[in-house]
Amino acid sequence: MKPVDQKEESVYQRVVLKNASPYHYLKVHLVLENETTRLTAVELKQFIITGLKTLHGEVGAALNVDVLKYDDDSLTALLRVSSRGLVKLWSSLTLLGSYQNQACAFRVLQVSRPTLFFNGPVQYSQNYHWGVTEVHPEQETNTCLP
Amino acid sequence: GSSSVGRYLLCEINVSDKSQLLLLDDRAVATAVKAAVARTHGDYGLALCTIRFSVKYLNTHTGIVLLRFPKRCYKLLWSALPFITSITTRGHNIPCFLNCLHVGGTIRTCQKFLIRYNTQQLHRMLPKCKNEEEKQQIREAILDCSLEDGTKEAFEEESESEEDEEE
Repeated sequence: MKPVDQKEESVYQRVVLKNASPYHYLKVHLVLENETTRLTAVELKQFIITGLKTLHGEVGAALNVDVLKYDDDSLTALLRVSSRGLVKLWSSLTLLGSYQNQACAFRVLQVSRPTLFFNGPVQYSQNYHWGVTEVHPEQETNTCLP
Repeated sequence: GSSSVGRYLLCEINVSDKSQLLLLDDRAVATAVKAAVARTHGDYGLALCTIRFSVKYLNTHTGIVLLRFPKRCYKLLWSALPFITSITTRGHNIPCFLNCLHVGGTIRTCQKFLIRYNTQQLHRMLPKCKNEEEKQQIREAILDCSLEDGTKEAFEEESESEEDEEE
């Protein structure tokens, strides 16, 4: 691979996301056996915490999970968790199989973390490595928060 | 293979009434450890504990216990030990706490540490002796401390399994 000349202007923007955000966001949908059952946001959070406690104990239950948005009609929620707790949370949701004696399943629709896009082309640097996102400079740039 | 490598945690069980230590057995200690892991780390932690966790050695006179954990998850399981507040055995509930003295890769390194530790403890007991006879007993015990002697017996049956435990 040819080494990159610092004076070369790059076609793409490269942005390093190394530890940029301490949070991950999950969009989830709770599917229940009885489709008419409804939960409040508080009941949902309580349910998630019991799942964390079962699979990951007191340490799991102490994890900060926030329900940022919740549609109690469609049972769809936007959860926020620290990036270190993502695996614990997601695995707990996967194994939550029943709510008040009825079968249920959490469908994880989307997982993301916030990204920042800079305007205009930037120099490509060999220091950039993991967590890199490429954005074509012609695209409309935006500060993206899901 | 590397998956069978372990970490040996040498711990001390602290009780307020030393005579209660004599009631303990390795099954009671194992149960207490597993219960603490289940509380602290849930089903995931407990599952890690089911595979290749064991109590390798227990001395009910000194309260020294040697726990074996798999290498890849020993820190997680170690973190649950401070949450042990009591051990239940033969109908008795013995309040206690565990103090980790040493972490080793093999039983032998823990054995060597224990010899040094016991020797230090004996030295500490010397100034507290009430008469010359006690002092003499302790001096003899200190001289007895070596791998070639008494403490080796407890570990002998385990030394065969050491080959596959070494990294």
